[in-house]
Amino acid sequence: MNSVFSNKGTIAVFVLPTLLLFCGIVLIPIFVSSYYSLLDWNGVGRGKFIGLDNYVEMFKDTRVLNSIKNSLLFAGASVFIQLPISLVLALILASNVKGEGFYRTVYFIPVLISTVVIAQLWSKIYNADYGLLNVLLQSIGLSSLAQDWLGQKDTALAASFIPTLWQYVGYHMLLMYAGAKSVSQDVLEAARMDGASRIRTAWSIMIPLMKPILKVSLVFSVIGAFKVFDLIYVLTGGGPFYTTEVPSTLMYATIFDTFRYGYGSAISVFIIVECLVCTILINSLFKTE
Amino acid sequence: MKALLKKSASLILTLGIVSSLAACSSGSSGGAQGESDGKIKLTLWDQSVGNTDPSAKLLPEIVEKWNSEHPDIQVERTGTTGEQYKTKVKTSIAAGEAPDLFYGMGGGSFMQPYIKSGNVLEISSYLTDDIKERMGPGMAEAINMDGKIYTLPVYTHIANLYVNTELFEQAGAKIPTTYNELLDAVTKLKAAEITPAVIGEKDRWPGMYWYDIIAMRQAGNAAVMEAFKDPSKWDSPDFVAAATKMQQLAQAGAFNSSMFSMSYDEMLGAFNAGNGAMMFQANWVNAGIGDPSSAVKGKVKVIPFPVFEDGKGTNNEIFGGAADGFYINQNTKHPKEAVEFLMYLSEQLGTQGFLAGAGLPSWKTDALDTSSLSSLDLSAADIMKTATSFIAWWDNILPAESAEAHKNLIAQLLAGDVTPEEFCKQMAQLKPTELSL
Repeated sequence: MNSVFSNKGTIAVFVLPTLLLFCGIVLIPIFVSSYYSLLDWNGVGRGKFIGLDNYVEMFKDTRVLNSIKNSLLFAGASVFIQLPISLVLALILASNVKGEGFYRTVYFIPVLISTVVIAQLWSKIYNADYGLLNVLLQSIGLSSLAQDWLGQKDTALAASFIPTLWQYVGYHMLLMYAGAKSVSQDVLEAARMDGASRIRTAWSIMIPLMKPILKVSLVFSVIGAFKVFDLIYVLTGGGPFYTTEVPSTLMYATIFDTFRYGYGSAISVFIIVECLVCTILINSLFKTE
Repeated sequence: MKALLKKSASLILTLGIVSSLAACSSGSSGGAQGESDGKIKLTLWDQSVGNTDPSAKLLPEIVEKWNSEHPDIQVERTGTTGEQYKTKVKTSIAAGEAPDLFYGMGGGSFMQPYIKSGNVLEISSYLTDDIKERMGPGMAEAINMDGKIYTLPVYTHIANLYVNTELFEQAGAKIPTTYNELLDAVTKLKAAEITPAVIGEKDRWPGMYWYDIIAMRQAGNAAVMEAFKDPSKWDSPDFVAAATKMQQLAQAGAFNSSMFSMSYDEMLGAFNAGNGAMMFQANWVNAGIGDPSSAVKGKVKVIPFPVFEDGKGTNNEIFGGAADGFYINQNTKHPKEAVEFLMYLSEQLGTQGFLAGAGLPSWKTDALDTSSLSSLDLSAADIMKTATSFIAWWDNILPAESAEAHKNLIAQLLAGDVTPEEFCKQMAQLKPTELSL
C-alpha cells in the first residue's frame, strides 16, 4: 500500500477531483467576483468598467464602515467571550467528569441544528409580545427590563450576537476537548504528583499543550465572525436602521435589493481579503516561539 | 494481488472522475431542451406555493389541464416561495438560464432592467384585438410599456384598510372615514388596551404602504405622479404634511411597539389572531383572513383608507392596481407556443383565481358566478370599481436603489429619527422613475 501513496500518478488521481471541484466552486468565482467588482453593473445587460471606483466609494460609505465595525465587534465577542467559555467547558469536560458523553452531546446539539432554525427559535425567545425572555423577566419582577430586543437600536446588535455565540460554543468546545484529551496522561500524572492544583494544571500544562488546536479555534471563530450571514439575515435582516448590518448582509442587500452587482462584489472581495489577512496574522502570531 | 488491487483502484477512481464530469455537463440548462420526440417542452416558474394562497392550488390544475389538451406542448412548472423566488429569477436571468416563462411582480422596477436589457420577449405582435377585448377595462393600457407589450395581466391587487369590527366595538370606536376619526379611533383603542394597527416593519414595505397612502390622501394621486417624475417635488408642503401625519400616528401609539422586529408574515399572524384592530394591506391577505384557521374570520371589514379633511386626495384614488403577470424569456426556442400558453394561463388563472379569492380580476368576469366570493373580495372589488386613478406600489415604481432609500427613510420617520422636513429633503434626493406613468 505504501507504494501506492508514493506514486505521483496516484496522488494526482486522488487530489485532482477535489482540486478541480475547489477551482470550480471556490477559486474561479473569487476571480470572477474580483472582476465584477471593477464594474458598474446591474446584473443584466452590459457592465461598465470603472476601475477601483467601487472600492473608493466603499471606504466612504458610512453603511459599509458601520457594517465592518459590527463584524469587528462580533469577532471580538467571539474571541473574548465565546472561546473562553468553550475552553472552560472543554477543560471541565476533559477532566473525567460524570456523564462526559452526555454533556458533550448536549453542548454539540446547537451546532447540528440548521442556523435558520436557531434564528427562528431565538427570534421567538426575543419576541416583544410573547417572547420567553420578556415573560421570564416579568415573572421575576423585572418587567421594567422587558423590551423589544431585536427591534431597538441599542439592544439589537448584542441580541443578535448571542445566538451565534451560543450556537458555536459546542463546536469550539469539541475541538478543544479533543485537544485536551490528547494531552499525555503521563504529564498530567506528573503534575498531580508534584501537587499542582487543577487550575494550575490547566493554566500551566493543558493550555500551552493545546496551542495548535487553540489556534485552529481562533482562526475559525474570527473568520466565522467576518462571514456571518444566515443568522443575522433571518433574525433582523440587518435592521433596525442598519444597526445589526454586517458586510455579508450588506453585500446581499446591495446585489439583490438594489441591483448593484459591481458594488456588492467589491464588498464580497473585501470580506475575502479581510479573512485572508486575519488568518495570516493569527498564524504568524502563533509562530513566534 | 497487490498489483491487481492497485490497478483496479485507479480504474475506479478514473471512472469516478469521468462520470462526475459527465454528470456536470449534462446538467439541465433550465431553458427549453432539444426535443427528440417532437414534443415541445416549456418550463414555467412561479411563486405560488403558500398554504393559504389560492393560486397555489389553481396553477398546477391549469397547467395539468393544458398539458392534457395539448399533448404536443408540455409545460413543466416549478414553484418557489416569495423572496427566494425573486433571487432565483434574478440570478438565473443574469446567468442566461431563465425558464421559458416566469412570473414577474406587477410591472415596474422588478422587470424594468430585464426588459431594457432585452431579456424579455415582446409579445405585441401576437396579441389580437379579441384578446384585448377579453381583458378588463384599462388593462390593455396598464400592460403597455412605451407602446410595447411584454406580459398579460393575471390579477389586480389594491391596498385597503382592514378593520377588525369586533375590536372596534369593544373599544367603542367608530370605523374611521376621515383622518381625525382615525386619530380618535387610535385613542379609544389605546385606552381599551388594544393595539390599534399592526405593521411588520422588519420587512420595511408594510410601513411604506402606510406612508404612501397617507401621501396620496394628502397630496392627491396627480401630485404624487408628478413627484415620481421630478423628485424635487417631494420636498413640498403637502408631502411634509403627510410625513407629519405619519409621525403623529406613530407618536399617538397607533402601531404595535414591536413593529421593528415583526416581519410581514408575523404581522398577518398577529392580525389574524385578533391582536390588532387595523391593518393596511393589499387584497392578497383576504384568503388568510377568511381561512378557517383565522380567529378573525367574518369579523373583518375592508374599507377605503380614510380621507383627510385638509387633503387633496379622494377615496376614489387607489393605491395599487398593479397587474402581476407572467413574462416570456427572450431566448425561448418556442416563442409562438409560449405566447399561446401565456394567453391561456393568464386568462384562466385571472378568472378562476378571482373566483377562488386570489385577487381582483384583470379579465372580464360578467359571465362568471361570483356568489362564492367572500365579502372581503366583493368589497375590494367594489372599491376597485369606484377607482378614478391608480398608483401601484412605490417600491416598484421607484428605481431599485431609490426604493430602498424610500423604505429606510419611512422606518426612520416611524421611529422618530428624522423630522418630517428632513424626511422630505431626503426624498427629494431620490432618482426619478424610469417608468412612464
